[in-house]
Amino acid sequence: MSAAAPVLEAESLRVAYGGNQALDLPRLALGAGELVGVVGANGAGKSTLVNALLGWSRGRPRVSGRVRLDGEDISALPTHERVRRGLLLVPEGGAVFARLTVTENLAASADRATGRAYTEDEVFALFPRLRERLHHTGGQLSGGERQMLAIARALRLGPRALVLDEPSIGLAPRLVVSVLETVRRLVDERGLSVLLVEQNVRAAIEVVDRLVLIERGRVLAEGPVAAMRDDPRIIQAYLGEGAA
Amino acid sequence: MNLLQQIVNGVILGHAYALIAIGWTVLLGVARLVNFGHGQMYMLGAFVTWWAFARLGLPYPAAILVAIGGGIAVGLAVQAVMMRLTLEQNLVSIMIITLGFGHVLRGAAALVFGAQPQVLETPPSLIDLEIAGAWVTAQDLLIVAVAIVVFALLRLVVEGGRVGRTARMVAEDPKLAELAGIDVRRVYLGVFAFEGAAVALAAALVAPRTPILTAIGFEEVIVTFVVVVLGGIGSVTGSYLAGLGLGLFNALFGGFVSPAYTTAASFAVLTAVLVLRPGGLATRGGGR
Ligand SMILES: Nc1ncnc2c1ncn2[C@@H]1O[C@H](COP(=O)(O)OP(=O)(O)O)[C@@H](O)[C@H]1O
Ligand SMILES: [Mg+2]
Repeated sequence: MSAAAPVLEAESLRVAYGGNQALDLPRLALGAGELVGVVGANGAGKSTLVNALLGWSRGRPRVSGRVRLDGEDISALPTHERVRRGLLLVPEGGAVFARLTVTENLAASADRATGRAYTEDEVFALFPRLRERLHHTGGQLSGGERQMLAIARALRLGPRALVLDEPSIGLAPRLVVSVLETVRRLVDERGLSVLLVEQNVRAAIEVVDRLVLIERGRVLAEGPVAAMRDDPRIIQAYLGEGAA
Repeated sequence: MNLLQQIVNGVILGHAYALIAIGWTVLLGVARLVNFGHGQMYMLGAFVTWWAFARLGLPYPAAILVAIGGGIAVGLAVQAVMMRLTLEQNLVSIMIITLGFGHVLRGAAALVFGAQPQVLETPPSLIDLEIAGAWVTAQDLLIVAVAIVVFALLRLVVEGGRVGRTARMVAEDPKLAELAGIDVRRVYLGVFAFEGAAVALAAALVAPRTPILTAIGFEEVIVTFVVVVLGGIGSVTGSYLAGLGLGLFNALFGGFVSPAYTTAASFAVLTAVLVLRPGGLATRGGGR
């Protein structure tokens, strides 16, 4: 593999729910130390895409195509095997175990930590709030704390590529910025590769390197954030979000 | 009837009940699964112990291990067959499959072991002891001791450490557990292997108290159901206390009121508790 080879790569990824084709993606690549934003309207297929990368879903989709992690074809592997290779997903909505305490949630990751895992101290340095909530259960946390714990759990496990599905959903604007800035720090300081699904396009544009705009299961536009900023389709999508 | 003797009987019976129910406690608490073949697996455990001990001539401890091995094999086989339904948490289908499986086990056991009642005359069941005026057998003491050890170990495992944590994650959200790197299938197989092992161990220890027939098992399922529900579903400590309570209640009710109505009476207690405290006696629940 050359140095420029992508960390995570999807090819001909198609997903259907029953007869409904929800995703048709010829190619998507995530480079080392790159932060790529996936944006698009509600129901565009963003979650369908990131879940398919993990071979994971709460529904029953039919998935075809290839997913490679560091050049290795992982398409046939069950979700937990992909996770153990370092492809980690923080799914949409609650990604913490509500009946386990913060300590236990983190310990569960430590149980299966790889060499890339962040230490407990590193995680608490990123999210000091969690240290004050150690004995609270996941269910007792606020929305923002839950998202912090979800990301912390992934870091404690040891990500090669981290996929975040709308980490800022339901958060106060100030927290949205703080969560996204933390994600940017992970990329800058640790060279982590991150695929970030975000419906808050304005906030996403401030932190990502590249942007992928999805509509009705297809890539409508894609490119470096500097170029995408002025793309009328992005402006339209962004305005759409702003009006909501 | 002497009160002390009835209380002692109740304590022994209670530990037997708790031991019979422990596999179900884990099954329901950890995996949100049910096994209505539980009673027939108990029956099978009793017959395998009898076969290994009386027919093969193995020492009693070795016969217990053979029964546990058989229980694990049966548990793994059942879970492997219904894995897809388990992953979908399709409780109704699982109920029907395990119910049917229990009947298959009963039929197969009748073919292999015959219709004759058998008696498991284990060495400890032949030793009578007097404790402060009450009579017990060494087998009874063995039941109490093993039940206490099994429950204490299980509590340690569930409350601390990786295994218990993994189990509780799968219990709460098996899908999310996959994203945490957990092989959920292996957890489900492990849980059913434990259920098989635990009910076989219970049978190997408790069955020597009564003659064994391939028709036994129904009463054990009812007892298990009462213990698990009363104890607060999935609660290890709750199951132990509920088993003990039910044993005492049955012994006292049977001794002083009427042995014919003990099952009906325990159901009345169950109903009352369900109505008054729907979460069971240990309201904390959640795999503890
Ligand atoms: N479990 C499911 N079963 C059936 N259809 C689904 C399921 N999940 C998503 N879909 C459909 O797939 C499309 C894409 O949904 P999704 O990926 O959740 O969009 P987004 O994350 O961009 O909001 C939508 O039309 C949605 O209705
Ligand atoms: Mg979504």
